[in-house]
Amino acid sequence: MISLIGFCSLCLSTIFSFVVLIPYSILQIKVKYLFFIFRSSTFLVCVSFVSLIFAYINSDFSNFNVFQNSHSNKPLIYKITGAWGNHEGSILLWVCMISIYGFFYSIFGKSFNDFKITVLKIQSALFIIFALFIIFTSNPFLLNPVLVEEGLGLNPILQDPALAIHPPMLYLGYVGFSLVFSLAIASLLKTNPDQIWIMEIRKWSMISWGFLTAGIALGSYWAYYELGWGGWWFWDPVENISLMPWIAGLALVHSVIMIRGEQAIEKWIIFLSILCFSLSILGTFLVRSGILTSVHSFAADASRGLFILLIFFVTTGFGLLVFLIKSPSKKNDLHLLLINKTSALIINNILMMIAVLTILLGTIYPIIIEVLTNTRISVGGPYFNSTVLPILLPGFLLMSVAPVLSWQTNKIKKFKIYVICFFILSAIVLLQSYFTNFNPWGFIGLILGVWIIFASILSIVLRYKFSITIHYVKTINSFIAHIGVGIMIIGITFSSIYQKEFNFNIAVGEEVILDNDFLKFQDTKIIEEKNYQSLIAIFSLEKKDRIVSYIETGKNYYPVSKTITSEVGIYHDWFKDVYIILGSENNDIWSIRVYLNPLVSFIWIGVFVMIFSSIIAVIKK
Amino acid sequence: MKKILLILPLFLLTTICLFFLLFILLKKDPNDPPSALLNKSIPIFSSTNLYNDSEFLESNNLKGQYILINFFASWCAPCRVEHHLFFEIKKQKPELYIIGFSHKDDPNNSKKYLEEEGNPYSFVGLDQDGKIAFEFGVFGLPETFLINNKGKIIFKHTGILTKEIIDNEISKLF
Repeated sequence: MISLIGFCSLCLSTIFSFVVLIPYSILQIKVKYLFFIFRSSTFLVCVSFVSLIFAYINSDFSNFNVFQNSHSNKPLIYKITGAWGNHEGSILLWVCMISIYGFFYSIFGKSFNDFKITVLKIQSALFIIFALFIIFTSNPFLLNPVLVEEGLGLNPILQDPALAIHPPMLYLGYVGFSLVFSLAIASLLKTNPDQIWIMEIRKWSMISWGFLTAGIALGSYWAYYELGWGGWWFWDPVENISLMPWIAGLALVHSVIMIRGEQAIEKWIIFLSILCFSLSILGTFLVRSGILTSVHSFAADASRGLFILLIFFVTTGFGLLVFLIKSPSKKNDLHLLLINKTSALIINNILMMIAVLTILLGTIYPIIIEVLTNTRISVGGPYFNSTVLPILLPGFLLMSVAPVLSWQTNKIKKFKIYVICFFILSAIVLLQSYFTNFNPWGFIGLILGVWIIFASILSIVLRYKFSITIHYVKTINSFIAHIGVGIMIIGITFSSIYQKEFNFNIAVGEEVILDNDFLKFQDTKIIEEKNYQSLIAIFSLEKKDRIVSYIETGKNYYPVSKTITSEVGIYHDWFKDVYIILGSENNDIWSIRVYLNPLVSFIWIGVFVMIFSSIIAVIKK
Repeated sequence: MKKILLILPLFLLTTICLFFLLFILLKKDPNDPPSALLNKSIPIFSSTNLYNDSEFLESNNLKGQYILINFFASWCAPCRVEHHLFFEIKKQKPELYIIGFSHKDDPNNSKKYLEEEGNPYSFVGLDQDGKIAFEFGVFGLPETFLINNKGKIIFKHTGILTKEIIDNEISKLF
């Protein structure tokens, strides 16, 4: 019954969206009724998604999707998140969000109604395309042909709080770019739009980018403590394809600040808006079609792959075609100087585009090679580390001073102070690195991170103005964002370059040395949980007869899917993480692997600062 | 020049989509990567017998006969599904030497597994630390390799074997 409600409301919602698309010359109704139809469509698709969630909560195994992905023994929270933990449900969520973004735009959009309706029409068209994809190839409301008492369970590795909210966050980011896309296309289709659309692109791209940042960070954090590989970023294809719209979005939010009525930049913003959403669809296509193998792979299905490929081609092709035909041609030259803000932002945009292309090439290269030569290769971390990082380095250096550059002149205010500070700082970092463990990358990363933070703080201080109002925080917002990046760079540098790995064979009661600390194996215990059995090994981290903390690591056994997952034990500290993975046991001697990851917390702090800054940017003055 | 710049993204898009299309149509399955070791000599390894600690199997002693190597484990559910097929292969080709490697598994669990499912293997070797699987470039369990009488790997399959694979691919090779 609930499946029927879900399916019918999805179909109805699609029909309503078709109505929105009917041109005004045929359907002559008032604007407010058109808004009403659009909003009803949003309401209906939300009903559809909620009914899927209800089917999951009630463990309604007459629904085939619930039967395949849920189990009555699962905790309630994972029953709910199970709704989007699979292909069909996640695409429904995606569609739901396209509509919700349009809904909020119809309320908060500040353009004239004429322009707003064009945007909503494009949004409806996108909605219809994806809704048809669901109805024809990925219907989550199919009935189960067999009568069953119990479901097949959810992938145990996905039963995790961070992962429960990782997909919705990521989708809020991806799908947010659909609205940015619609705004950009609408600005091309309407011959004389006002300039409000640029402010709207600025706002919505900032929101999407903030969500995308949170989504990627959550996924990364999940990989860090769930997969047990000791790291948090693996250049996994799925990570790469989420990074591409992120970087393009970053270029977009930077480009919209620099517009001063120049046509060239307007064009560039439109192009980036199309690109961001295309890269988001590309990401979905690559993950959902099963073309790439990774920790995220879902069952591959050729017809689905073809359908999403078609969506990707049609949407992006349409966007680029409109861009080609309707591209604005008014001349208004850029105000370029050797080092003013505009040229810094242009260099930053070029670098980001090169980075996106490099990642794109690395990600699809194996596919191209396999089609051409029928041999399989894989492009991994070494390629990305040695290509993407050097491209980003000059950008980071530029970032530290860019916000203080002037729009009009070639001068940096108080230039000397910056130069002197930079040299003093470099000398200190060089000495520090020289007397510890010198590593060129470590040195570069540290100096960049410290310099970005320092220069940003210096710029705030040199303004000689302090107050605690939102308005003030908004004026120094770019510095705040850059401080976040600086903190993150330090975290990334230290945790990847100065990571230490230890392997031990250890019995209960024994003790091993980790740099300055001791690790003692206290005990093992077995706990029966509702849907799994867990074996826990308890370690204590000790410092000179003082116990710093207990760390629990272990393995879980899920009887329904007959899988074993290893649960990493992590001790978080501001300056280092102790990361323990339990291996196999032989005659009461356990093998364990321990990583000492320095400054990982800085990465998450940096991300928090960046998200905070994107929230500030969205808040009205 | 400007026009070219504007057309370039469309051109790139079409090219990329074309490759994706070919990839899907050619039915490339990323879950079945070809082994880098195909048509190469088997890696050097040494393994202990599951049932007898003092009996070893050395890769050097294996030449001169066709060998089927299967990586399995008691914790591997798909392994159970294909397990009975090895009895059929044994019936078809009694001269074939079948080695089973118990991969990252507790020996007692492996023994129990073979008691429950039967033991089709001529030799069951231990690969507790996963080193042998590493040498063979094992992608995931179950995985099966066929080695010819010159010690070369001539076939490999990742995932569950089926009757069709055995009849159409393995049996034709020798």
